[in-house]
Amino acid sequence: MLMCRDLAIVASDYIDGNLGAVDNLSVRMHLLMCRHCRSFIGNLRSSIQLMRGHSDNVLDDRLARRLDREIDKALQSKSKGGPDKD
Amino acid sequence: MEQAADITEESQLIERLQRGDPAAYRAAVRAYTPAMLAVARFYLDRDSAEDVVQDSWVAVVGAIKKFERRSGLKTWLHRIVANRAKNQLRHSQREISTDFGDALEPALAARFARNGRWATPPPLTTIASAEALMENGALSDCLDKHLADLPEKQRSALMLYEAHRHKSDDVCNILDVSASNLRVLLHRARQRIFLMIETFQETGEC
Repeated sequence: MLMCRDLAIVASDYIDGNLGAVDNLSVRMHLLMCRHCRSFIGNLRSSIQLMRGHSDNVLDDRLARRLDREIDKALQSKSKGGPDKD
Repeated sequence: MEQAADITEESQLIERLQRGDPAAYRAAVRAYTPAMLAVARFYLDRDSAEDVVQDSWVAVVGAIKKFERRSGLKTWLHRIVANRAKNQLRHSQREISTDFGDALEPALAARFARNGRWATPPPLTTIASAEALMENGALSDCLDKHLADLPEKQRSALMLYEAHRHKSDDVCNILDVSASNLRVLLHRARQRIFLMIETFQETGEC
């Protein structure tokens, strides 16, 4: 019989739909009986949704300027007839 | 509709990059570099990762005309970075060490009794919806902090899969991990974020 700890181990696979039919059914049966695990799965799902909406698209100015500089150099070198690369 | 608009926007950006438009490069650098860094950091320390990302952008200037759009721009950029980071790792003769062992984070594993039932169960009040959570500025700052503190391997996997919505096959190729190892990395990272949000909701502290 699936225990709460077992469910916590396969929780991501359950949420992502990676479990086989038998394991999936075991999880569903367990969730019917265990309110703590229902809460755990619901909250893990909310955490995942939060991460999906969270952007890490912040680039620090120092690195952005450094990349701009190097790209400008490469563009200038290319416009002077540098070869295209693979 | 939004997806079609994204594709048109990306298509226009690629054309501008192929024409060598410096403004397009500036926009692309700001849009794509954070995820490229996440890829490089999977393999390398911060300084080496920044060097590899820089080399990759310079390589893009030379190679963008031959980009045939068989994948999206983001996936193409990530593969360039991953290949260069792997080469660098090979040259440095460092071994990449990743803990793929236990599927449960110690802090979560400790909450189960020996019989496998919850000893310290999660509160029965449901965490607020993701939309409500996102509107909480303090929680967003806390999430940034915890994402930054994640082990690099977990963070890279989480960012590519969740935030940048790569397919798991792509993440496996880019990070050179098996599907089962990716699942462990993602599950461990998700548990850490789950525990962080739970603590934040209970105590208001990060």
